[in-house]
Amino acid sequence: MTADSIKKSKSLSVFKDSAVCLVVLTAATLAGYAFKAFHLADADIIMLYIIAVLVISIFTSKIQFCLISSVVGVVLFNYFFTYPEFSLSAHDAGYPVTFVTMFITAFIAGTLANKLKRNTLIAEQNAREKEEAALLAQNEQLRANMLRSISHDLRTPLTSISGNASTLLSGGDTLDESARQQIYTDIYSESMWLIGMVENLLYATRIEDGRMQLNISVEILDDIVQEAVKHTERTHSKRNIIVDMLDEIIPVMADANLIVQVIVNLMDNAVKYSDDDSDVTVSVRREHAYAVISVSDHGTGISDEEKEKVFDMFYTGYSRSSDSRRSLGLGLALCRSIISSHGGTISVSDNIPNGTVVSFTLPIGEVDLNE
Amino acid sequence: MNEYLVLVVEDDKPIRKLITTTLKMNDYRFITAVRGREAVMLSASHKPDIIILDLGLPDIDGVEVIEHIRTWSDVPIIIVSARSEDRDKITALDKGADDYLTKPFSVDELLARLRVIQRRLMRSENVSVTEFVNGRLRIDYVSGCVYLDDEKLHLTPIEYKLLCLLAKNVGKVLTHKYIIQSVWGTPVFMATLRKKLSDSSQALIQTHIGIGYRMMKL
Repeated sequence: MTADSIKKSKSLSVFKDSAVCLVVLTAATLAGYAFKAFHLADADIIMLYIIAVLVISIFTSKIQFCLISSVVGVVLFNYFFTYPEFSLSAHDAGYPVTFVTMFITAFIAGTLANKLKRNTLIAEQNAREKEEAALLAQNEQLRANMLRSISHDLRTPLTSISGNASTLLSGGDTLDESARQQIYTDIYSESMWLIGMVENLLYATRIEDGRMQLNISVEILDDIVQEAVKHTERTHSKRNIIVDMLDEIIPVMADANLIVQVIVNLMDNAVKYSDDDSDVTVSVRREHAYAVISVSDHGTGISDEEKEKVFDMFYTGYSRSSDSRRSLGLGLALCRSIISSHGGTISVSDNIPNGTVVSFTLPIGEVDLNE
Repeated sequence: MNEYLVLVVEDDKPIRKLITTTLKMNDYRFITAVRGREAVMLSASHKPDIIILDLGLPDIDGVEVIEHIRTWSDVPIIIVSARSEDRDKITALDKGADDYLTKPFSVDELLARLRVIQRRLMRSENVSVTEFVNGRLRIDYVSGCVYLDDEKLHLTPIEYKLLCLLAKNVGKVLTHKYIIQSVWGTPVFMATLRKKLSDSSQALIQTHIGIGYRMMKL
C-alpha cells in the first residue's frame, strides 16, 4: 500500500466511525423520547446512553470515540431530558452528580468493550501469524530435504568421476585400451547425468510456494517438441523415438524452456524405465482449447498405488537401486509445478499392452493471423 | 592447415584449455585473452577471423566487449554463457553477436558453430545484390519472387519480408525482439513460412527456443 492510500483508508475509517457514533446516539435519543412518553424514569434513559456508548465502542476502532460519545451522551441527556429542556443548564442540585456518574459508567463500560474487541483482533492476528510460520517451516523443511537429497545423490557420480580420473592420472598407461575406453565412457555418462540434474535443480529454485516464475511468450508447439526430442536423441541413442504431431500450427502461451524441460524429463523417465531398442512415443493432439502432449513407453509400467505418489517431491519408486536408475525424484514434481503454473494438468496412465503414458495439457494461445 | 585465426576470451582456465585443445586438434590457429579489455585490444591488433567470447569476464561485461568491437569490425562473435543467463544471451545477440554456446557445451557443438561461421565467411565474397541463392531456395529481389527448386512459392508480404530478413543475416541467430522490430513477424508467421519452404526438419531455418531464429547457409 502506498502512503497516500494508507492516509485515504485512515480518513475513511474515521469518517465511518463518526457516522456510527452519530447514528447510534441519535437512535438512543429517539428511544429516550419514547421512554419519556411512557413516563419511564431518568435512570432508564441514562441506561440507554450507556448502551449506546457500549455499542459505539464495539463498532469503532479507537478508544477516543468511546470517550467522545460518553461526553456527548451526557450533554444530550442534559439538553433533551433534564429540566429545563433544550438547554444545557440543570436546575436540580443532584444532576451534576448524575452527569459525572453517567459519564464514568459509560466510559468504563466502553473501555472494557473496546479492550475486549482489541483482544479478539490480536488473537486472530496471532493465529494468522502462527499459520504463516507453519507454512514457512514447511517450505524450510522442503528445502532442507532437497539439500540433503541433493548432496547425497550428487556424491555418487562425483565419486565415480573423481575416482576414474585419478585412476587414469596415476596408472592410465598400465590399463589396456578397452579398460581405458570404459573409464572414459563412465566419466562422460556420469557428468552428463550431473548436467541433467543441475538443469532440474536450477529450475526448481524458481519455484516459490509451489508455483513457478514464468517468462511467457508465444511459441509454436512443434518447435518445443522438436527441441526436446533433439535433446533426448543426443543423450539416448538406444531408443526408437517416434514423434506423432498434428499437421496444424499450434501456438501456445508458454515459457518454452520450461516446457522443453518437462518433455525432456518425461522422455528421460520413459527411457530409464524401458528396455534398449524399445519405442518411446511423443504425440500431440488437440482437445478443445487445450493441446495434449503425451509421452509413452513400453516399460514396466507403474502400479495404481504408485501413480498417486509419482508427482511428489523426492519420490523415487520402490525399486530404488544404486545403479543407473537412481534419480533425485525431482523430475516429475518439477513437471507438475511447471504445468500447473501454465494452467494445465499432468496425469499418468497405463500404456497398452504394457508401459506408461504421461500426458499434460497446455492452453492454446490466441494469435491474430491477420496481416 | 586451417587458415582461420580464433580469439578465445575466457577467464576460467579449464574451459579455456578445453576450447584451445579442441582448436589445436582441428588445426585452427588461436590467441587467448582472459579479460575484456585485453580482448578488445587483441581483436584490434591481431584482426582474428572468429571470436569466442565468454559473457562473464572479470573486468568488463562481455556485452560491452561486443559493443566495443562492433564499432569498427564485423568479425563473427560466438558467445559462451551459462544456462541461467538467458537474458544476457539475448542482449548479446541484439548487440551484434552472431551465435551462442550454452555451458555446459560439447566439443562437437563448438566445432559445429565454427563450421557454420566458416561457411558464411567463405561464401560471403561472391554476393549478388539482385539475387539470393541458398540450397534449393532462390530469392529474386528485383521481382520479389521466391523459388524452391525453380518452383515459385506464394508468400504473403510478411512471410516475404521475414524470409528476406533471414537471408540478409544468413548464419546469424536473430532474436525475437529484433525480428518483431524489423518486420512484425511472430512465431506463427515463421511456422507458416517454414511450411511453405517444406522445411519441417529445420534444415534451413533453425528455431532457437526462447531466443529466436537462424537461416543456415546450405
